[in-house]
Amino acid sequence: MTYKDKLDRILLKVQKPSRYIGGELNSVEKDPAKVTMRFAFCFPDTYDIGMSHLGMKILYSLINEVPGYWCERVYMPLPDMEEQMRKNDILLYGLESLQPIKDADFIGFTLQYELSFSNILAMLDLAGLPVYAKDRPDLTPIVCAGGPCVCNAEPIADFVDLCILGEGEEVNLELMRLLEQCKAEGTDKHEFLVRAAKIEGIYVPSLYEIEYNDDCTIKSITPSEGAPCKVRKRIIKDFDRVFYPETFVVPFSEIVHDRAVVEVLRGCIRGCRFCQAGYLYRPFREKTVETIEKETISLCESTGYDEVSLTSLSTSDHSEIERMLGTLANYSDAARVNLSLPSLRIDSFSKELVDRIKSVRKSGLTFAPEAGTQRLRDVINKNITEENVMNSCRIAFEGGYNAVKLYFMLGLPTETMEDIDGIADLCQKIIDLFYSIENRPKGGIKISVSLSTFIPKPFTPFQFEPQPTEDVIRERQKHLMEVVNKKRVTVSRSHFDVTHLEAALARGDRRLSAVIYAAWKKGCKLDGWTEYYKYDKWMEAFKECGIDPAFYVNRPRSYDEIMPWDHMDVLLTKEFLIRENMQAHEARPTPNCRKACAGCGVNKCVGRPCFDYS
Amino acid sequence: METKNIRVFFSKTGRAIYISHLDLYRLFQRSIKRSKLPVWETEGFNPHVYITFALPLALGTAGICESLDLKLTEEICREELISRFNDALPRDIRVTDAAEPVMKPTEIALSEYEARFECDNAAFAEFLSSEHIMTEKKTKRGIAELDLKEHLSILGQSDGYLRFTFPSGTEFNINAGLLFDAFEKQTGTEIYTLRITRTAIKCRNGENFH
Repeated sequence: MTYKDKLDRILLKVQKPSRYIGGELNSVEKDPAKVTMRFAFCFPDTYDIGMSHLGMKILYSLINEVPGYWCERVYMPLPDMEEQMRKNDILLYGLESLQPIKDADFIGFTLQYELSFSNILAMLDLAGLPVYAKDRPDLTPIVCAGGPCVCNAEPIADFVDLCILGEGEEVNLELMRLLEQCKAEGTDKHEFLVRAAKIEGIYVPSLYEIEYNDDCTIKSITPSEGAPCKVRKRIIKDFDRVFYPETFVVPFSEIVHDRAVVEVLRGCIRGCRFCQAGYLYRPFREKTVETIEKETISLCESTGYDEVSLTSLSTSDHSEIERMLGTLANYSDAARVNLSLPSLRIDSFSKELVDRIKSVRKSGLTFAPEAGTQRLRDVINKNITEENVMNSCRIAFEGGYNAVKLYFMLGLPTETMEDIDGIADLCQKIIDLFYSIENRPKGGIKISVSLSTFIPKPFTPFQFEPQPTEDVIRERQKHLMEVVNKKRVTVSRSHFDVTHLEAALARGDRRLSAVIYAAWKKGCKLDGWTEYYKYDKWMEAFKECGIDPAFYVNRPRSYDEIMPWDHMDVLLTKEFLIRENMQAHEARPTPNCRKACAGCGVNKCVGRPCFDYS
Repeated sequence: METKNIRVFFSKTGRAIYISHLDLYRLFQRSIKRSKLPVWETEGFNPHVYITFALPLALGTAGICESLDLKLTEEICREELISRFNDALPRDIRVTDAAEPVMKPTEIALSEYEARFECDNAAFAEFLSSEHIMTEKKTKRGIAELDLKEHLSILGQSDGYLRFTFPSGTEFNINAGLLFDAFEKQTGTEIYTLRITRTAIKCRNGENFH
């Protein structure tokens, strides 16, 4: 019986079966007889989430453009589907071939958030493979991982054969060519890994020995077999000409981001000190308006989507944002396509922009002041002032909006109760502003405050900082609830349980592999889903492994401590991160990269200043 | 604007049988946008391509005579319409024909199905020949008892094969899968690899819906 036949037996017994069968518009099918390299691209979460991820769309198309190389999509099945698969001996399969991924040459995971780590084990197991890399002696499949979380891959180091640090557009193909060659030569897995470690951007955890001090901090990290002391992140130098897919796979069912997406720039000039992406994706590079226009048209026409989103860490920082919007509006109006612009900054919020967004769809506006007082905003280097917030809100209210969503972070370094009061005060000032406007929209104002908890991340100036303990976080959350205007403001908080685990995994070391394994054995998976998350099982796992999560979460780290990720080079110097950390404690902001170079070190790789400062 | 009504016939087979009716609607909207066919769009704040399906097809059932109606704003020949549709559609949905609509969807009376399956053949034959085949059917008013036998006409039967009709239409509709669910429930045995295809849609006058 073929897998298709087997699937036909079970698919009507599961929710939304179309996400388990492939065959969508623009999905790529190749003749298996002509395929020399099969890459099973796994997003360790469900179809609805994974299919929304831009990086996977880019690399999927990139690999499939190569004759003989076949990239397939693989997602984590929900429990109802997993149960049916196990009952009917169906191993995890690729959506294109409907063939088990254990027969692929590569099984690649993209790691976008730490809470997807347990899904790696769940998916390998469902694929019929041992979860530990050492228990997979064969040359293929090579299990690899990429994405932002591999800047500290130590917690998953025991499960993957290699990691890809940085942007995958070039290095993925280099890696595939190497494996193709090794297969032809008949080399073994170890030899392949040794050779792979010589490719810039490739990290082979098994080639590094970690020694610990008595207090469990790291004593040394020693490479062997010619692996580099520091693994250097890969970046695309000519971003305007980087590969971008002409089309996307269009899912049958609705997914989280069901629209065309064009990446307008990569990197960020802002340097918010809590934001890992803002440091990891440096240097700042943008596409020309012409390239963006071409990619927009191509994507809309080939997918039939009626909405296109211009995405990046901070789209309004594009040097030609006004011309870009004007150009795209000409197309979108004629083609009846909606333009959407996520991630706009408060200080760039002009009346023109409001009108442009409004002509698309009138919904609420979202701002992210992140902290309640100017002092704390200076600490985190969120270079916006209360005046910026008020101006933007005024423009929005005058433009007919009466709902504002505000993002704040709780538990930031140096935070006190005064800063929490500041959140409530800022909300009240916005409410007062609303009622002071004569031509305000009908109905009252609604503010939703989304209060997340600060999680210190590697390669940020806050990598040295502790996360406040549970008691402190709960007390501050409670305090905000007491002081905020409850009639106009609704507050949603992140769950302590979830941020606690994320914080432990984010700055964890290799010893956490045992914890992840134990938690998975206890049934932990789909940790990003409230209904499946089992915090108590995770804590049991920590306990059984004799590891206290507080060691990773709540312990301040000194500047000279060896971090578990110190053998990764994301093109920033540690001196820069220390300097920024010191400035944070003095509440001194750093100007954005366009105004002045902060000396992070990335320009050494670019070979010239990132911006023309003359 | 002068428009011309067109009925587009299509098949939905293979991997596409798992597309729900709501998702099929969105799929055709996008495909029409891709095809750039001159299809009339609704006016107003959120303009969208105007299409209506004659008769929804149950999830998991294949169909070879499905249809939807749309309005063309420009004259376009049948062959071009079909080929432009097919260039824009996923593989397992194929447009087979297009013509001016003759009948109204309200005239639809029944659907003809072909089922292939593996099960205990003797038990299935006995099940089919029983006087009543009672099952529960979800309706707007709750769950109702229904005798499938009363509505079933068998057109052909052999081991692992059944050709039959069930009532269809806007008023009363029976999902073909119910028959096989009832068998599994009554006998406590399983049906393997059930494949059902809707092969014809008939109107009250006995003619194929066209």
